[in-house]
Amino acid sequence: MKTENKIDPKLVEEFLKFSRNVVEAPKMVSAPDEINLEVTPHDVVYTEDKVRLLHYKPLTTKQSKIPLVIAYALINRYHILDIHPKKSWVRNLLEQGIDVYMVDWGTPSKIDKYLDFDDYVNGYLDHCIEFVKDEASVDQISLQGYCTGGTLATAYISLHPEKVKNFVATAPVIDGWRDTTVISNLAKHLDVDKMVETVGNMPPEFMYYCFSILKPFEQGIEKYINFFRKIDDENFVDNFLRIEKWLSDTPPIPGALFKQWIKDIYQDNLLIQDKMYVGGKHISLKKIKMPIFTQVAVGDHLVSPECSMPLHYAVGSEDKTLRVYPTGHVGMIASSLSQKKVLPELGQWLKERS
Amino acid sequence: MSSKPQALGSVGPMRNFGANAKKIATELIDSNEDLAEFNKRLMEYYQQLSDTWAEAQKKVNSKMPKIPNDSEQFDSYKRVWIDIFDNDFTDLFDSKKFGENYGKLVSSELELSKHWEKMVNVMLQSANLPNKKEIDEVYQEMHALRKRVSKLETEFKTEKKRIRK
Repeated sequence: MKTENKIDPKLVEEFLKFSRNVVEAPKMVSAPDEINLEVTPHDVVYTEDKVRLLHYKPLTTKQSKIPLVIAYALINRYHILDIHPKKSWVRNLLEQGIDVYMVDWGTPSKIDKYLDFDDYVNGYLDHCIEFVKDEASVDQISLQGYCTGGTLATAYISLHPEKVKNFVATAPVIDGWRDTTVISNLAKHLDVDKMVETVGNMPPEFMYYCFSILKPFEQGIEKYINFFRKIDDENFVDNFLRIEKWLSDTPPIPGALFKQWIKDIYQDNLLIQDKMYVGGKHISLKKIKMPIFTQVAVGDHLVSPECSMPLHYAVGSEDKTLRVYPTGHVGMIASSLSQKKVLPELGQWLKERS
Repeated sequence: MSSKPQALGSVGPMRNFGANAKKIATELIDSNEDLAEFNKRLMEYYQQLSDTWAEAQKKVNSKMPKIPNDSEQFDSYKRVWIDIFDNDFTDLFDSKKFGENYGKLVSSELELSKHWEKMVNVMLQSANLPNKKEIDEVYQEMHALRKRVSKLETEFKTEKKRIRK
């Protein structure tokens, strides 16, 4: 007897529609180079080598006196903090009356392979902050560090506490041994000396490989199935392409900086143990005594909350706030949750202290 | 008479050519060991991936034994498949055995790059061009100079501010 395998006609119809969308996609959506990721108007107010300091134009008549300098991460570019007018971290802060500056680390080339933590912390970041202090005629600024930018900001504040009034640490990479992510597992087993000696700067391809093994099936298959399914939804496609463009643009990391970062943070875990040195100067988290606001995401698969939260407990500050949000690494800074919950809380916290 | 061709090789450009050819041949021979290590690690890498795949597929089959034939079933099958595969592969990528093998795989690949670099250096030298070590020295010098200029600029600005006050 022959058994009949019935297939739902709706399933066939969906499959045909999906195939049609795949074929028609190039005609239906913009090419990545047609998408402009620079959303909020700004001026480039300071440059040094490849580093640029951006100053965003105010969106309110009255602004808080203490400007906020954002030290973006070393991985990918700063555009994620201003990825879409409706999900822009920067725009939201401007609308709350905060004066915002952003450090764009630029795209290092082979000539930059000897740039190290000292150059980034005591050089570029310090010079940007000095510039902002002069321009805004203030003695102190608020500093936000995101992801690896949080590590740089932590080192900076420990060495120059007098220049920072408030510290915002957003998913900072602090305690490498507690980090439970795939990234930390790879970092712990990497012969970073050999890598830097052979290839110079950390190649972007290595970072793309790391991204590819983070939730590989959700991010590598389901995400794209959803994209082709919803290709008629203009807003969804616009958001999707912006994030894809941002993801596919990660600059190399200068060899010397990458080496110290992997060794001191992931392999030897020196920062949280108060044993790290930058430019021959000791980094002590106890020296961080200004108000600190630490933001972590419970579903962060790039920097796990266990890696970030120890900062909150290790600093010498008395005024400290820790917020754990039910989202991921990017969701915390560029989502509707960040607009509705994360940013209003941060804005309020900053305004009370500026 | 018969020793003349050999004698020729010991003078002038032929002598260099002979020495360079020897260096390149030595590198090629030395790289075989690293190539074997690289292949071993690469095979282990794919073995780990394929074992995890097979195990995850078994789990999917036991949870969803029927082939989906309508839209709803298909979506739930896809959800289960992605969840199980993501969990199992994340467990693998988080594991010590994966981390160690991946570290050694990258390391052996870098060793191969080093051999290639040494061979290219021989050719660059014979063409009177700077090799990687020499270019690195220039980068290092540039870095030191940039640091000095930056320090001087900072000192200059501080002094200017002091005078203004």
